[in-house]
Amino acid sequence: MKPDEIRKAVIEMDDVKTAQLVNTALKQGLAPQDILNKCLISGMKEVGELFTRKEYYVPEVLLASEAFYAGFNIVSPLIKSQPAEEKTKVIIGVVKGDIHDIGKNIVKVLIEASGYDIIDLGKDVSTERFIKAVTIEKPAVLAMSSLMITTLVHMEEVIKELIKKKMRRSIKVIVGGAPVNEEFANRIGADGYAEDAARAVKLLDKLTSG
Amino acid sequence: MDKIRSVIKKQIKYAVFPIVCVDHCAHIANVKFTDVAIDGEKIAQVLLHGYNCYQYDMVLLFLDAYVEAQALGCPVRFTPYSTLLGPRSTQGFDRTDEIIKAAQILMEKIKVPLFVSIKGPFTLASFLAGMQDFLKMVLKDPTHAEAVIEQALDFQTKYLERLLEVGANIFIGDPVASATVISPVVFRDFAYEPLKKLITMTKEKGALSGIHICGDTAPLIPQLDTLGADILSIEDITLNAQTLKMGGVSTTTILHGNSTAIREEVSRALQEPRLILSTSCDVPVETNPDNIKEMIGWAHEYTDN
Repeated sequence: MKPDEIRKAVIEMDDVKTAQLVNTALKQGLAPQDILNKCLISGMKEVGELFTRKEYYVPEVLLASEAFYAGFNIVSPLIKSQPAEEKTKVIIGVVKGDIHDIGKNIVKVLIEASGYDIIDLGKDVSTERFIKAVTIEKPAVLAMSSLMITTLVHMEEVIKELIKKKMRRSIKVIVGGAPVNEEFANRIGADGYAEDAARAVKLLDKLTSG
Repeated sequence: MDKIRSVIKKQIKYAVFPIVCVDHCAHIANVKFTDVAIDGEKIAQVLLHGYNCYQYDMVLLFLDAYVEAQALGCPVRFTPYSTLLGPRSTQGFDRTDEIIKAAQILMEKIKVPLFVSIKGPFTLASFLAGMQDFLKMVLKDPTHAEAVIEQALDFQTKYLERLLEVGANIFIGDPVASATVISPVVFRDFAYEPLKKLITMTKEKGALSGIHICGDTAPLIPQLDTLGADILSIEDITLNAQTLKMGGVSTTTILHGNSTAIREEVSRALQEPRLILSTSCDVPVETNPDNIKEMIGWAHEYTDN
């Protein structure tokens, strides 16, 4: 079995095949970390690129995510038992009043697949919950999304609260979602905006490097 | 003849309707959305308030996205501004009767065409099955997806008959069928035929039909153009479509923009040879009424000169 077959199974959205191939690779002695990095993450990154190029759409990305997690859930416990390098922590959530979380879920899987430690607060997340999570988890980045223009105000609310609690300087804030754009992100004082999931990962890499 | 029909028939170039819905009208009328959302008389009352305030060329009865889903048993939750699908709910309450009641009241009181918003069967099916599960289903279990769409279409067909009976025109919103979400192939295989059926029914009754799809619609235009709808409400009105386009002012501009920004977008939009000047999506609830008046006023001033 060639490692590229696992990568291909993720891109082809085949969760059963991905799990089978990962198990076979482990039996053949392939290191779990290599399976994760060279096969699963690499496959998911390609899916992100296909999404950006509009060759894949949301259904394809959702199914590819399932394939990714089918493999990730097998190798992840094995990697965690090994001495792991420190991962950059990211908190993600959909702001209060909004229950549309597909976009957030796609961003989440690509961020996770890119080696970040992600904490998903889910949807309809109040400002208080965001602040509490940031206080406890001390992430490097807070990522907020919203599909509804009526709930965008809560992104600004969270940023203002971070300033009020003197936590803003120690964290990067990125925002996304259908009604969000660069101008809005700048206006509310976010550190960045990404148009889609693959670009969100690139933005994270940029903001957290160095 | 009213302005909307005149533009459709190419007798005039422009009509104006920012997508002002029940939520914004309730807001400016100082009525709680949660009270309006379940009462046909109040729906009509706030929409009349909005119409009298802005004097646009049509009225759209759009309450929220989940009227039909709720009638089919989906739990919904009312918030001060909008309605959400969710667990804290009033289950199984059919608000379509209230929509019909509101439509009847409005038909008697307004002189411009009334459009009632209904959901496209693809989008309604996604609410019924759960958005994520449904989107995966279209690729993994297409037969099941088709069955859910059929259930949605069956409900919409009967609902549409009742709306056409009272003389309403129809605006079909199908946001989940956007090319931001699905491919043109999935649109062709799952969303197109149900939309076509509803539009054909509407045409047969002599009523007008519009379609609203948010986000990216560029790859869908060739298909949307063959549906037979009278109006195509899209974000990017520079796209080359045969159907009369509706749009031109972004929701961000109408919400946050100043007079100059609004005038700029209106002037740019009115370079189109024919257009229903509108917003790219619903006017946000808390939009300053002055911005809406600016949009309509400048459109009139610009087209008069």
